[in-house]
Amino acid sequence: MNDAPDLELDTAWMERMGEWGTTAQPGKRGLTLEDIRIGRYGELPEESDNMSGRPRGAAERPEAFRIGGYTVRSKREIWLENATFLYEEALQRQWSSATDIPWETIEPLPDDLEEAECALCTFFNEVEFVAGDVPARWVANISPDFFEARNVLLAQVQDEARHMDVFRKRALANGGGLTRVTGATSGFVGSIDLSRDFTEMSSRMHVSGEGAVLSMFRMGELVGQNPAEKRMYRLCAQDEARHVAFGIMHLRYLHATAPDRHEEIEAYLDEAENLSLTGGTNPAGPQAETSEALAILLGGGKQHYDEGFRILLAIRKRQLKEYMQRVKSAGFGERFENGRSPVPGRIAALS
Amino acid sequence: MPAFPSVEWFNAVRERYNTDQTLHSGGGGPCEATAALCIGDSVYLLEFEGFECAEIREIARDDIDQADFFLDMPMPEWIDMINNIQENGAADLDHTLSTIDLELEDGLPRAPGDDQYRRDLFYRYNQNFQDFFDASAGIATTIGPVD
Repeated sequence: MNDAPDLELDTAWMERMGEWGTTAQPGKRGLTLEDIRIGRYGELPEESDNMSGRPRGAAERPEAFRIGGYTVRSKREIWLENATFLYEEALQRQWSSATDIPWETIEPLPDDLEEAECALCTFFNEVEFVAGDVPARWVANISPDFFEARNVLLAQVQDEARHMDVFRKRALANGGGLTRVTGATSGFVGSIDLSRDFTEMSSRMHVSGEGAVLSMFRMGELVGQNPAEKRMYRLCAQDEARHVAFGIMHLRYLHATAPDRHEEIEAYLDEAENLSLTGGTNPAGPQAETSEALAILLGGGKQHYDEGFRILLAIRKRQLKEYMQRVKSAGFGERFENGRSPVPGRIAALS
Repeated sequence: MPAFPSVEWFNAVRERYNTDQTLHSGGGGPCEATAALCIGDSVYLLEFEGFECAEIREIARDDIDQADFFLDMPMPEWIDMINNIQENGAADLDHTLSTIDLELEDGLPRAPGDDQYRRDLFYRYNQNFQDFFDASAGIATTIGPVD
């Protein structure tokens, strides 16, 4: 028997304006964002007029302030087909630089190897600042109607914070320290932050920049001198591959839905290929300070520099080939057949 | 005692990988990928779903496009890697999948249609695949006939 008095509360304010009776069901991977893309909650507008920060599918409130200065309000400016998947993957594959790296396996190294490793860690610290700052700046510009893509970028910011700290920890853990900054962020890498369009930013950062850094992280595992370094580079590479996947899937979406933007995207790729991937600012390229550090590590010491440099050039060739295959996968592969891209020529020169 | 390579051997590894929580290390969370391993004349398809390796089966080489990517090494190199894991309890610094990948001119993973997005899954979930092979350290193994 219910003894509670009937207070006759007026709950008319609690109007059920969103779609009601929704019962999302968890799947094999738990209750994911994909599982709740149901009914009207799963419908994305082609153009968003949501300037109040209203969660997608919630009832509107006419007096709500226009709190969001969203400049990205069109689905085709931001979307990718696997955003929900990448977000869940990012959350569930987080790791801790404090406890998931077997730091106890680090042992003193010869001075030249320690200096080279520290130079590399200093460089990664620099570039990961950019990779964290840029998506962080874009998040607030994106309409909450496209929160899935927004959330992937938020997860990326966390990933990049971890990359910054893990390389800093490595530099300070074995008798070395940070070296002189490379200045790599003042050239093409720094210009990523000047992008005024999301796709311009994503093609520069996710596809060109992080694709190149992914190759370097994998090189790091090859040159790792102990289980701690091997694991550090491998786990960073996993995260980086996810960020690259974001860029590829975004470009693939634009290739399929925005033919009027193809030439513009080709121009972004022209810039990246000429300035960074085949130019002197590629951190794995032949002229950079980082390439000297890599060659020392790959060769196993200064006395084996030439051998290290030979391995570096072989890996750089793979870096370019993989970039080319990613761009093809996104739908923009014709540029490698019609002479527009300098990448095939660069690969041939390295052969 | 299961022989490498065989479905029986891979299922023994799968059983250990799925049940031994110490093998699901930080950074090796859920994995959604299908990998094929080309070992001698045989091709084994490994389906990873969430925290498990859900299924392993032998497939024809013509069906390799069922996989997101495939790893193809000469038999002696597979055996060297498996022996190293058996001896050390896990791959040593020279025998991790990533190290082997980087020592090959064109790398270890290949993808059907040369799709780099699918090939990149090898790098995105690399720790899972390493954990899977490291699980074989606990499996009493005989090396099968070598072609």
